[in-house]
Amino acid sequence: MNPELIEKVTRLVVEKLQSQQTSDDKGQEDSGGVKFWNHTSGPIKKTAKPAVEVIESEKQDKNGLIKINSHQHANIQSDKTNHEESKSYSEKKSIANPADPVELEALMSKTPARIGVGRAGTRPKTDTWLKFRFDHAAAVDAVYGDVNDELINRLGLFKVTTMVNEKEVYIRRPDYGRKLSEEAKKIILAQCQKDPVVQIILSDGLSSSAIEENAEDVYLSLQQSLNSLGLEMGTPFYIEKGRVAVMDEVGELLMPKVVVLLIGERPGLVSAESLSAYLCYEPRKGTIEADRMVISNIHKGGIPPAEAGAYLGTVIQKVIKYEASGVSLVKKEG
Amino acid sequence: MLKRYDAQKEYIISAGIDIGTSTTKLVISRFSLMNMAGGTHMPRIEIIEKEVLYRSPIYRTPLLTASAIDIKGVERLVSEEYISAGIEPGDIKTGAVIITGETATKQNAEEMVHYLSDHAGDFLVATAGPDLEGIIAAKGSGAYELSRRTGITVANIDIGGGTANAAVYRSGRLCGTCTLHIGGRLIEFIDGKIKSISPPVQEILRQWGADLKVGDSRNHPIIGKLTDYMAEVIGRMLRKDLLKEDSPLLLGHDPNWIEEIDYIMFSGGISECLYHFESAESSPAQYDDIGKMLAKSLRNCRELAAFKWVEPDETVRATVLGAGTQTTEISGATIHAEAHELPIRNLPVYQIGFDNNLEKGLSRIQEAVKKSVEIYDPQQEGQNFALYLTNMPYLGFRDIQELSAVLIKSLQAKPKPEQPLVVVLESDHAKVLGQTLKTQQANQSYICIDQIKAEHGDYIDIGHLLQSNVVPVIIKTLTFHQ
Repeated sequence: MNPELIEKVTRLVVEKLQSQQTSDDKGQEDSGGVKFWNHTSGPIKKTAKPAVEVIESEKQDKNGLIKINSHQHANIQSDKTNHEESKSYSEKKSIANPADPVELEALMSKTPARIGVGRAGTRPKTDTWLKFRFDHAAAVDAVYGDVNDELINRLGLFKVTTMVNEKEVYIRRPDYGRKLSEEAKKIILAQCQKDPVVQIILSDGLSSSAIEENAEDVYLSLQQSLNSLGLEMGTPFYIEKGRVAVMDEVGELLMPKVVVLLIGERPGLVSAESLSAYLCYEPRKGTIEADRMVISNIHKGGIPPAEAGAYLGTVIQKVIKYEASGVSLVKKEG
Repeated sequence: MLKRYDAQKEYIISAGIDIGTSTTKLVISRFSLMNMAGGTHMPRIEIIEKEVLYRSPIYRTPLLTASAIDIKGVERLVSEEYISAGIEPGDIKTGAVIITGETATKQNAEEMVHYLSDHAGDFLVATAGPDLEGIIAAKGSGAYELSRRTGITVANIDIGGGTANAAVYRSGRLCGTCTLHIGGRLIEFIDGKIKSISPPVQEILRQWGADLKVGDSRNHPIIGKLTDYMAEVIGRMLRKDLLKEDSPLLLGHDPNWIEEIDYIMFSGGISECLYHFESAESSPAQYDDIGKMLAKSLRNCRELAAFKWVEPDETVRATVLGAGTQTTEISGATIHAEAHELPIRNLPVYQIGFDNNLEKGLSRIQEAVKKSVEIYDPQQEGQNFALYLTNMPYLGFRDIQELSAVLIKSLQAKPKPEQPLVVVLESDHAKVLGQTLKTQQANQSYICIDQIKAEHGDYIDIGHLLQSNVVPVIIKTLTFHQ
């Protein structure tokens, strides 16, 4: 559609709405150019302020980043209390006088979706709306945040980078996220054991929170599982701003039998901390996507991370037994 | 052809055997198991289809004397039916033997049900208990399914020869149960005369000051009054309004639901007298008792007419179908089970609530194991039990390690610590816990299963590991009427 036409129509609609208002609000549209988000920040400046801030922080990502980071630190420190608070919060919001509270409760317990939240006229209640904004902000934070070095050190990993140097580039150029930087290749070759059976890699991908919240439990549990199955593990490391197919380059460099890549998933409004484990038998340059397999939805509200780690061990065992992964594995299994 | 990842079906054969006051019957069915999780998730194995392969005729329950079941007779009957069905006992991978009604009061009831569960299948579970009878009948009759589908409150009343077992469901959730001494065989006739009167009925007659005794004519007017009274008592029971004089007919606890009942459904032998679902040749047994009169009284009872009546899917076979098709659950797909320890039968369940607090829960384990031994193994003979951990908070890997260490330590309180440690979890953590236990102490066997709902004091039976890496589990009560 013609953008000029859209702007024209929008302007007409806005003008009509304003002419219907009995209040003495003055039109803000003197400047002529209607911006789509302006109708929220327009009429009353004070109440609209938080919305403006959100948009600003999205725009000036460098300033935004610092804020987001400090927010995450605060989160870690007060983890337990936060958890309880959010729980009581979610219990509070619901329909005021449900006809059948037991049934409603049963339905609500079946899904994390925003059902049974009640309404104010045709709109969601303020609580629901704020929760929605909060979850959206958490998703944005997860994408733009960085994984704490302390965690990487605690797990005994070292950190390398892809060809991406900043998040905006990461989002615009997925191909850069699939390639290791020259420096990274050198470090990996120098520090890692060659030809391991299982090579574990971690990467923030699109959610740094996924790694911060869940990677440790998956990793430790997977390690134990591999040990008890007698599968040798190479030197694990962390790749910053990686994409799934970065495992192909690692495969070329270290020639492992199986690569397991624990990577943050694109955050959603239900969870911003969901982790995926991608597995591939002998990934190399030119590996097709059908040969990769994934266990997704690993987070506190999904597959419990520790259980996922234990399960991954048995999947890896199967991949090694059949010398195949993904669709090829299904075919070979028969 | 493209195949769905991991979508192969697995089939298992299940048997249900119901040994009731008047009749014994059997069903064989086949369950289809399939991974219902998407290819990118951990597997979730579910029973997706249940197909009844064989229904036996309805036999008279073989008795040796008035107070003893003919165990050999029942076994012969079962093995003949297996041959008719074309099934070997070894094919039977799950299912339940249930002993119901007055039969559960026979002196050798417990022996009977355990004997049959050991001999009639690879993994067949012994069950008993008036509450369980009601629950299983409600599942077999379709009352449970009706409530689940519609959200309404449905009471199923299964009336057989000796007892009436009521179970109330709303939205598929069990609200409560109640059992009464009401059934067709409480007064039996022979040659047009009364052959026997059961003790609860004698008690009622005494209250009434009525004179009815063995040898009287079957047309004695008091008998009609008695069946009318029984129907009224059922009505009062459904309203939780039992009178003091009704108490001789109450078996066990009072009605324990709080909901108002919308629909009622009758199953059991008396229901057959109401609806006539069975063909004449499938039911060779003949009864000479008050069953038909009781059915007529139910039909004409004003107390019961106030409820909406729904026809059941099954009448006299509701319990056996429930036992054969509705008792088996499937564990989570990521578990730790050591094949050589399975199957495990009749383990009492000891529940340890964590109240969403790891430290609190851990501090309770030691004590709980000691208590379990005191309760379930007072003679220190080595009766094993299952620990059922509920209400656990989110568990990270280090939490699991801590839990595992405490569990291993608590084993010392068992008279035979070398027995397998059986842990049942509500949440999905069984595989990692099993693996951690094994890592911490390798020379011990562990069975860790999850995603099973049980209750403190239930009994659990865990079957053989299936190809899909799950185990069939049956949760039950095992109380014999005293």
